[in-house]
Amino acid sequence: MKDIKLRIRSMESTKQITKAMEMVAASKLRRAQENVTRSRPYFEILFDTVCDIADSSPAFTSPYLEEREVKKTCYVVIAGDRGLAGGYNHNVLKLAEAEMAGKNVTVVPIGKRCVENFRAHGYEILTDAWAEAGGVSVSDCFTMARDLSDRFLGGEFDEVNIVYTNFVSILVQQPAIMRILPLHGTGSGEKHQSETVFEPESQELFARIVPEYVGGLIYGALCECIASEQGARRTAMDSATKNAEEMIDDLSLKYNRARQGAITQEITEIVAGSNT
Amino acid sequence: MATFELQIVTPDGLMFSGEAESLLVRTVEGDLCVLPKHINLLTALGMGEAKVVADGKTRRAACIGGMLSVMDNKVKLVPTTFEWADEIDADRADKAKSEAEEKLSHRDRLTDHELAIAEAKLKRALVRRSVAGRKQ
Repeated sequence: MKDIKLRIRSMESTKQITKAMEMVAASKLRRAQENVTRSRPYFEILFDTVCDIADSSPAFTSPYLEEREVKKTCYVVIAGDRGLAGGYNHNVLKLAEAEMAGKNVTVVPIGKRCVENFRAHGYEILTDAWAEAGGVSVSDCFTMARDLSDRFLGGEFDEVNIVYTNFVSILVQQPAIMRILPLHGTGSGEKHQSETVFEPESQELFARIVPEYVGGLIYGALCECIASEQGARRTAMDSATKNAEEMIDDLSLKYNRARQGAITQEITEIVAGSNT
Repeated sequence: MATFELQIVTPDGLMFSGEAESLLVRTVEGDLCVLPKHINLLTALGMGEAKVVADGKTRRAACIGGMLSVMDNKVKLVPTTFEWADEIDADRADKAKSEAEEKLSHRDRLTDHELAIAEAKLKRALVRRSVAGRKQ
């Protein structure tokens, strides 16, 4: 009877913790969600514009547009800083590893879990300067983007992909891969008829715009990831709290039964004693 | 009056969406004014003031970095920072300016990277201040 009591108590404190974590995640989620809805139009328009450019300019070439033979691929992988978020970290890392299998890769991990994972598995890590996903600001994204674009131009790798988690809704988060460099059009083959003026001329223009574009995409992906993480954590903690409640109910039932059993036995003993 | 479709988006959200009569921005090569039926154009933005004329009213804003694209009379302005003049926190810009100046006053102690950051901060603060109507 005593152990049951102890277990109920420990269950209750666990429940309190998961409940508190759920509340925290819920409030963070609200903020992160606002962030996502605010930054989404930017993300989309930026993407469309650059696709348009890639489509519309058959005449001009840029090292950013050129498809090279892929000898080495760079992956920017964004995961969480902390665990206890259900399958969130696992899903995105699994997708990343499946994608990387058998390729010559270098990784830019963002988020503590991510850094730990890739280090433990012996992947080549380009930089771990952004170990904390929560602390990455817009300007960090642009610094990272400039660095990546420079290295891409320098031929250090021939492809840059980003692995992140798409925030579909509070309940659904979808890990995804997006290729950011080299640039690619929508592939619709639809060319703009009228001529386009580039100012300054294309080489220099691209050198300025591409890092901005890459930074914008990284930032957008990061916003999605943060919202996803909080969403996943909220769901996970919600079900943990429900489980704890169920277990407490179950244990209370057992406890009451045991208590009743003990009392009945005692009464029987007393009655039997007084009868003789 | 003829108008064109204008969208202004930043990482902080959609700042403007609708019909505009003209748009003046500072690009890396100098000031540029977009009017309706402008030729298709793509350019990178510098740091400076932007003016949007819509519904006969002119609105000023601080506009920094990013790009401008004009495609078939649709204009997309995608800056990294865009703040309407009346939303700028002038005191904060003042503070940022003095902080950056303070940092730059002993520039020999800074690394190249830190120097670049401080200079960029100073420029941003100056643009904000001038748009907000402060004396330099």
